Amino acid sequence: MNVVEVVRFAVAGLLANRLRSLLTMLGIIIGIAAVILLTALGNGAAQYIQGQITGLGANSITIIPRAAGGSAGSTSGASARPLTTEDAAAIADPQGAPDVAFVAPVVQTSVDAASGRSSTTATVVGSTPDYFPGSNTRIAAGRAYDAADLAAARKVALVGRTVADDVFGPGSTPLGQEILLDNVPFQVVGVLEARGQGGGLANPDQNVLAPLTAVQSSLTGYGNLSQIVVGARSTDAQAAAESEINSILDRRHGIAAPDDRDYQVISSRQLAQVLDQTLSAFSLLLAAIAAISLVVGGIGITNIMLVSVTERTREIGIRKALGAPPSAILGQFLVESVILSVLGGLIGVAVGTAGTLIPLGDFRPVVVPSAVVLAVGVSVAIGVFFGGYPARRAARLRPIEALRRE
Amino acid sequence: MTDVPVLDVRAMSKVYGAGETAVHALRDVDLVVRRGEYVAVIGQSGSGKSTLLNILGCLDAPTSGHYLLEGLDVADLDERQQSILRNRQIGFIFQSFNLIPRTTALANVELPLVYAGVSRRVRRERARAALDLVGLGTREDHRPNELSGGQQQRVAVARALVTTPALLLADEPTGNLDSASTADVLGLFDSLHRAGRTIVLITHDDEVAARADRIVVVTDGVLREATPATRAEAVGRVTR
Ligand SMILES: Nc1ncnc2c1ncn2[C@@H]1O[C@H](COP(=O)(O)OP(=O)(O)OP(=O)(O)O)[C@@H](O)[C@H]1O
Ligand SMILES: [Mg+2]
Repeated sequence: MNVVEVVRFAVAGLLANRLRSLLTMLGIIIGIAAVILLTALGNGAAQYIQGQITGLGANSITIIPRAAGGSAGSTSGASARPLTTEDAAAIADPQGAPDVAFVAPVVQTSVDAASGRSSTTATVVGSTPDYFPGSNTRIAAGRAYDAADLAAARKVALVGRTVADDVFGPGSTPLGQEILLDNVPFQVVGVLEARGQGGGLANPDQNVLAPLTAVQSSLTGYGNLSQIVVGARSTDAQAAAESEINSILDRRHGIAAPDDRDYQVISSRQLAQVLDQTLSAFSLLLAAIAAISLVVGGIGITNIMLVSVTERTREIGIRKALGAPPSAILGQFLVESVILSVLGGLIGVAVGTAGTLIPLGDFRPVVVPSAVVLAVGVSVAIGVFFGGYPARRAARLRPIEALRRE
Repeated sequence: MTDVPVLDVRAMSKVYGAGETAVHALRDVDLVVRRGEYVAVIGQSGSGKSTLLNILGCLDAPTSGHYLLEGLDVADLDERQQSILRNRQIGFIFQSFNLIPRTTALANVELPLVYAGVSRRVRRERARAALDLVGLGTREDHRPNELSGGQQQRVAVARALVTTPALLLADEPTGNLDSASTADVLGLFDSLHRAGRTIVLITHDDEVAARADRIVVVTDGVLREATPATRAEAVGRVTR
C-alpha cells in the first residue's frame, strides 16, 4: 500500500462526485479569492492615499490663514491677522526655527491667461524657487525660475499642463512663447508635469508658476500672502518644525490659546496620521470579512467530508474487511480533503489575483504577498484539520460497525 | 507447528446491547478448527451464525472469551496488525456480497491486493485469473449494478480467493444463487478444500452442508457439534 494508491483512491472518490467536489471547492475558492482581493483592495487604497500625501510634498508644511473667528464664538477682540512676508521671514530665521530648512511665501490669484490663439482662467502662484520641492512640483520641459529671476523680478512663468493645452493647443510645449496674464506678458520658460486632480483641493495643472516678486509687482501688489510653504529638515523633524512655527506665529499674532489661532498649519504628517488610522480600521474590516469567508469555506469542506464519510461508511467497512489498515483509510479521506482545499486554494489565488487586475476608479488593488501565503497556508490547514476529523472517524470504525450502517 | 489449530475459540460470548434489551448472540462457545478442515455451520435464522463468523473474520470483537487465530490471541493485536491478518490470512465472503459500488469487477477483486502492496501489473494478472476461475473473465469491466446477483456473488468469491488465503470464511455464499451457480461455487470450494485450504461456511442448504467434513449446529447462541449419528437429523431439522 503506497502513497500513489492512496492518492488514486482519493482522486477516484472525488471524481465519483464531480459536482459536489466542485461546489465544495467553490467555497474555498471564494474564501481565498476574497482574502486576496480584499487585502489587495485595502493595500491599494493605502498606497494610493500615501502617494497622494507624498504628492503634497514630502517633509512639507503649509500654513494658510484661517477666516477670522474660525472657531465659533471666540473672536476675542483682536481681529484675525493675515499672513505676511514678515511672518515668512520670522519662520525662516534659523534661531527661532532650527528645524525649518526653507520657507516659500506664496501669493496666489486667479487670472485670465491668454495668447494670440485662445484664453482660459488660470491660477497664478507666485513664490520662491523653494516652492518646487516644497509643493513637490516637477517640470516636464524647460526650467524652473531661479534666485536670479526672483531677484530681478523677471516675468518668466511655468505653465501647468491644462493651461498649456488651453492656451497654446493640446500637447503643446510653448517654451519661449509669451503668455498674457491679465494682459501682462510673461515669457514661458517651462511646462509642469501633469499631476491630475486630487493633489489638493485645487487642480495643480491649472496653475501658472512665476517668481513672487514678478507676481507682486505686476498682478497682486505687495499685500498679504495666500500661504506659506515650509520645508522641514527631514521627515523626523517635521513635528518639531510644526511646533516652532506655531510658537513663532502665536507670538507674532498675539495668540493665547490654540483655539484662537488665525492661521492653520497643515502637514502631510498630520494627514498621514489621520488616514493611517482610517485605513487600518478599513483594512481590519476587510480582513475580518475575508477571514469569515475562509471559515465558511472550511466548514463547507468539513461538512462535505462528513457527508462523504457517512455516505461511504459501508465502503469503508468493505475496505477494512479486506485488510485496509487505518492509515490507508485516514490517508484516502485526508488526501481527498487536502486535494479539495489545495486545488480550491490555488484556483482561489488565481481568481483573486486576476480580480486585482481590474482597476477601481483612481487606484489599483495591490496584492499583499503575505496575504497570499497566509491564505494558501490556511486552505491547506483547513484541508488537514477540517478534513482530518471525519477521516479519523472513518479510520477508527470497526469493520462490522461500518458494514452494518446503511 | 501443524498441531496448532487454525481457529481456536475458547469460552467466547457475544452480547449485543446492555441491560433489559441485551441480546446474547453467542453463549460460551468453544470451537477448534484444524488445518484443511471444511466446516459447515448451520442453525436457525437469528441463532448467531453470522455473529460467530464475523468474530472469526476479525471484523468484530467478542464480549468475553478468547479467539486464537493460528495460535495468536486476536485481542492482543492492534488495529493495524488485525488489518494485516484480515488481508493476508482470511478470505471473507459476505452474505450480501459487499462489492464496492461504481467500481469494476476487476478493481473490486484487485482491492485486497492493493492493500497487500502487490504491484499493479501482478495484481491485475492475479485478479484476472481469479475472475476466470469463477467464470467471469468476460465481465471484468462491469460494475456491480451491471451484474446479476449470482455474478456479484462470484465476484465476491473471486475477491476472497485472490490473495490465496489459508482460511476461507463464507456467510451463506450460495444463498442468492440458482442451482447451477450454486454447483459452480461449491465445486470451487471442493477444489480449494482438496488444495488444503481451511473453510468455514454458513449455510441453510443441507446439500451444501453435506459436502463438509464437519457440521456445527448453532441454537440460540449455543454451539453443538453434530456427530455422524445426529448429522442427518441435525441437517434435516434445521433446514426442514
Ligand atoms: N448489531 C446488533 N445489535 C443487536 N443485536 C444484534 C446485532 N446483530 C445481531 N444481533 C442479534 O443477534 C442474534 C444473532 O444474529 P446473527 O446475525 O448472528 O444471526 P444469524 O444466525 O446469522 O441469522 P441469519 O441466518 O438470519 O443470517 C439475532 O438475535 C440478532 O437479532
Ligand atoms: Mg447471518
